[in-house]
Amino acid sequence: MQGCVFSIEEFSVYDGPGIRSSIFLKGCPLRCSWCHNPEGQRSTAEIVRSPNGCIGCGNCINSAEKKNGETVFTLESIKNCPKGLLRVCGEWMESGALCEKILKNRKLLKNGGVTFSGGEPLMQSSFLFECLAGLKGQLHTAIQTCGFCGEDVFEKALLSADFFLFDLKLADGAQHKRYTGVSNEVILTNFSKLAQSGKDFVVRIPLIPTVTDTAENTEGIVKILKENGVSYAELLPYNKMAGGKYKMLGREYRPDFDEGMTVNIPKEIFDKNGIAFKVL
Amino acid sequence: MTKLVEALLKQLKDNSYRQYRTKETESPILYPVDLFGFNMGCGKPLKGADGGNVSPNYKRIITMGFDATRKELTESISAAEDEAKKEYGMRMLEKLDECIRVCDEYRETVRSNRRLCNALQNVPHKGASTFYEACVFIKLCIYFLRIDKAAHLGFGRFDQYMYSFYENDKKNGVTDEEIFETLEAFFISINYDSDLYTGVQQGDNGQSMVLGGFDKEGNSMYNELSEMCMRASLELNLIDPKINLRVGKNTPDEIYVKATQLTKQGLGFPQYCNDDVVVPGLVKLGYEREDALNYVVAACWEYIIPNSGADFPNIRTFNFPLVVNNTLHQKLNLCESFDELLAEVDSAIKCESDRLIQSVYGYAEKNQPLLSLFIDGCIQKLADMWRGGAKYTNFGCHGAGISNAADALAAVKRCVFDEQTVTKAELLQALESNFEGFSELRNTLRSCPKMGNNDAEADDIAMHLMSVFSKSMNNRSNGSGGVWRAGTGSAMEYIFTAAKCPATADGRKASEPYSSSFSPSLDVKTNGLLSVIQSFTKYDMTDIINGGPLTLEIHDSVLRNDIGIEKTAQLVKLYVELGGHQLQLNSINRERLLDAQKNPEKYPNLIVRVWGWSGYFNELDIEFQNHVIRRCEYLG
Ligand code: SF4
Repeated sequence: MQGCVFSIEEFSVYDGPGIRSSIFLKGCPLRCSWCHNPEGQRSTAEIVRSPNGCIGCGNCINSAEKKNGETVFTLESIKNCPKGLLRVCGEWMESGALCEKILKNRKLLKNGGVTFSGGEPLMQSSFLFECLAGLKGQLHTAIQTCGFCGEDVFEKALLSADFFLFDLKLADGAQHKRYTGVSNEVILTNFSKLAQSGKDFVVRIPLIPTVTDTAENTEGIVKILKENGVSYAELLPYNKMAGGKYKMLGREYRPDFDEGMTVNIPKEIFDKNGIAFKVL
Repeated sequence: MTKLVEALLKQLKDNSYRQYRTKETESPILYPVDLFGFNMGCGKPLKGADGGNVSPNYKRIITMGFDATRKELTESISAAEDEAKKEYGMRMLEKLDECIRVCDEYRETVRSNRRLCNALQNVPHKGASTFYEACVFIKLCIYFLRIDKAAHLGFGRFDQYMYSFYENDKKNGVTDEEIFETLEAFFISINYDSDLYTGVQQGDNGQSMVLGGFDKEGNSMYNELSEMCMRASLELNLIDPKINLRVGKNTPDEIYVKATQLTKQGLGFPQYCNDDVVVPGLVKLGYEREDALNYVVAACWEYIIPNSGADFPNIRTFNFPLVVNNTLHQKLNLCESFDELLAEVDSAIKCESDRLIQSVYGYAEKNQPLLSLFIDGCIQKLADMWRGGAKYTNFGCHGAGISNAADALAAVKRCVFDEQTVTKAELLQALESNFEGFSELRNTLRSCPKMGNNDAEADDIAMHLMSVFSKSMNNRSNGSGGVWRAGTGSAMEYIFTAAKCPATADGRKASEPYSSSFSPSLDVKTNGLLSVIQSFTKYDMTDIINGGPLTLEIHDSVLRNDIGIEKTAQLVKLYVELGGHQLQLNSINRERLLDAQKNPEKYPNLIVRVWGWSGYFNELDIEFQNHVIRRCEYLG
C-alpha cells in the first residue's frame, strides 16, 4: 500500500543508535505549540513555498485556487514560479519502493539502521507495519513516537520494530492537553507497555522554556520514569529556529510561551533522582 | 595554551608582529618574521612566482646545515667534468651563499629573544640539534625560497621528519608541554607575512601538512607528534598549516573522532587521503612503491612525492562539461542512439587529451637553483630539478566538472533518446539560447538522474567518462622525462573555466560554476550523504589518482555534541572503506554565511574551505563566497 512521506534524511545523527536514515511520515494527532516540523502535521500532501529568494512576481498566487477563503497553490503554481520556490511536500510512495530505497544504503547502515519518524509514524500504522515487515531481518528498525495511538496499534508496533524513541512531554494531563491538543492518558499507558515489553528504547524530553523545562514538570516526568524503571533520558532543548518552516506553509508560528526565555536544563532534579541524561 | 602562545596569537591577530620586520626593531618573538621579503619588496607585496608546488626535503637541509650542504655541493662541482653542469652547480652555490650571507646579517639584528639568538648560533650554518632549532631553520628556508619565487611549498610529512628532533629533545629532558609550546608558536608563525606575497585568493599559499600514514608493513605512522599537530591546530584555529590526514582501513576510530573535532572548527580540514587507494594508484603510474608510500599532497590535494619529486600536478585542466557540450553541438544531430553519442564523446575526450598533452609537451619550469638544493639528486647530478635533477617529473591533469558532464549526458540519454520527451533540435536551441524561453525544458533536464544520488544511470556515465579520460592520459609521455596522470580536481577552474562555458544539458546556465573538484553539481538536491559517498566511490579511484577530493558540507548543528562527532567520524570511515580516495569535509552553516556576507564586520574570523585551501570568508571575492553558500543550500 501507499504512504505519505515528507522527507527522507540519510545520515540522521540524532534519531537512534549508529548511522541511520530517517523516514518522516506525514500526519500527526498532536499539535504541539512548539512543533518545528509543521509540515509533518497534516496527513496529506501539500504545496509549500519557500520565502527565500521570492521576487514577488505573483505568478504562484495567480495560478492558485481559493478554497474556503484559503489560497491553495496548484501544480501550475509550482511550474510558474520563475525561482522554483514551490514544491509538493509529501510524496505518496509504495511501501515496497520505500524499502527498496532504504535498502540501497544497507551497506552503510549496517551498524545503525532506519528510523521512522514524523509527524507521528503510527498515524499511518498499516503502511508503517508493511515497511517494517519489508525490512525485517535486513536492517535495524526504530520508531520515533509520541505514543498517542490505540493500544492495539502500539502493541503491534512493539512486535514490529527493534527500537523505540518515545517522547514524554508533559506529566500533567491538563497541561498536556493545553500545549499539545490531546490528553496524555493513552500515551502513559502505551509508555508502560513499552517499559514492560523488554524492548530497547530511549525516552526523549523536549525542553520548552517555561512549559516542559519547569521544576514541576520535570519532577512529574521523573516520577513517571521511575515508576516505569527508566534510568536514562535524552533532553532536546528548544531551538529558536523552530518557527522557520511555518511561513513556507503559509501558516503563522504562534508559540504559546515566551520563545526568548533561555532553556532550563533541570540537571539537579535528574541527578537527585539518579536518572542519567544527555542533552542533544 | 601557554601565556607565550596566547601573546603570539594576539600579535598575529592584530598584526602587531609586523613591526618586527623593520630591522631597527628588535624582535622579542620566538620565530623570525619575513624581513627578507619585506625588505626586498620595500614593504609591498612581491609579485610573480616561478615553479613550486613541490615538497622540499627540509629534513636533509636542516639536519646537515648550510655548511655541510655547501661542502657537498662544492665537492660535486669540482668532481664534475661537464662545463654546463659545473656552471649550474655554481648557480646553486651562489644562491646558497646569498642565503648564508643574509642569515649572518640577520643574526646581528636579533638580540632581544635569547632563544632565537642561541638557535641562530647553530642554524643555518650547522644542522639543527633541537626541535626548536629545526623549526627556526625551516622558517628561514621558507623565507628564502619564497623570495626566490618558489610558490606553494608544503610542509610534507612534518610529523615524520621532525620526529627525530622531538625524540632527541625528550631524551634531553625537554617536556612534552615545552615542545608543544614550541610547535604552537611555529604554527602561529607560519601564518605571518601572507600580505607580502600575492596568491590567487588570500589563504591560497600552499602550506599543507600531511600527518599519519602507513609504512610498507601496514603499520600506522601516526605518532606523538602527529597528535600534537592535531591538537595545536584544534587549539589555535588558524588557516595554516592545512592539515591532511593519511588514513586507511586500519586507522583506529579514535583518530577519526579527533579529526572530526577539528572539522567542527569549521576550517575545512583535515582533508583525508586514503592510503589504500593512493599508494597502489601511484605505483600504477610508475612510482616506486617506497616513494608512493611516502606520498604527500601539494598545495591543495594533488598527490606528490616529497623530497625527490618535481611533478607538475596541475599543469593542465580537462574541461569535461565543455568537451561534452561541444560534442552535443557538433554531433548530436548525427547520432541515432545514445551509444553513438557516447562514442562521439569518447573520441572528443581522446582528442582533447591529445591536445592538452601536445600543448605542454617537453615543458619545464624556469630553472630554480635554490629550490633544487632541496630536491634530492640535484646536488649530485648538478642538474635543475625540472631538468633531470629530480627523480620524477610527471605532469598532472585536473578533471573539472565530471559530475556536470555526467549529469548532462544522463539528461540527454533520458530525455532525447529513452523517453524522447525533448527533440534534438529543441535541446540544442535551448542550450544556444541559454534556456531563455525554455524554463520548462530546463526543469525537465534538471529532474533527470544526477551523479550523487547513487543512481546507476548517472553514475555509470560518470564512470565511463573517467575511464576514457584516464586511459587517454595516464602514463603517456610528457616529453619532460615523465608521464601524465589524470585526476578529479578542479582548483579555481570550477569558477574560471566554467565562466566561459555556455549552458550545458544538465540545466546549468552559461557561466554558472561547476561542482568543486569531485562533488555533486551545484544545486543538485541529492538524497543525502550516504548516497553521495556511494556515488563517488563506485569508480576504481586508483585509476585517476592525480588528486581532487569529494567535498561534503555538513551542517554544524550535526557536530554539536559527541554523538554527532562520533557518527560523522564513522561516516568518514565508511567512505574510506568504500574506496574513496580523498575527502574534504566542511562544517558549515548557511545562515551564518549569508549574515557574514551582509555584515562582514561581525565575522572577522570566519574561515571557510574554498577549494584546496581555506581562507577568511570576508577576503574572498563574491563569486567564491556565493559558491560556498550554494554548496550548502540543501543542508537542513
Ligand atoms: S511565483 Fe515564485 S517568485 Fe513569484 S511570487 Fe510566487 S514564490 Fe515568489
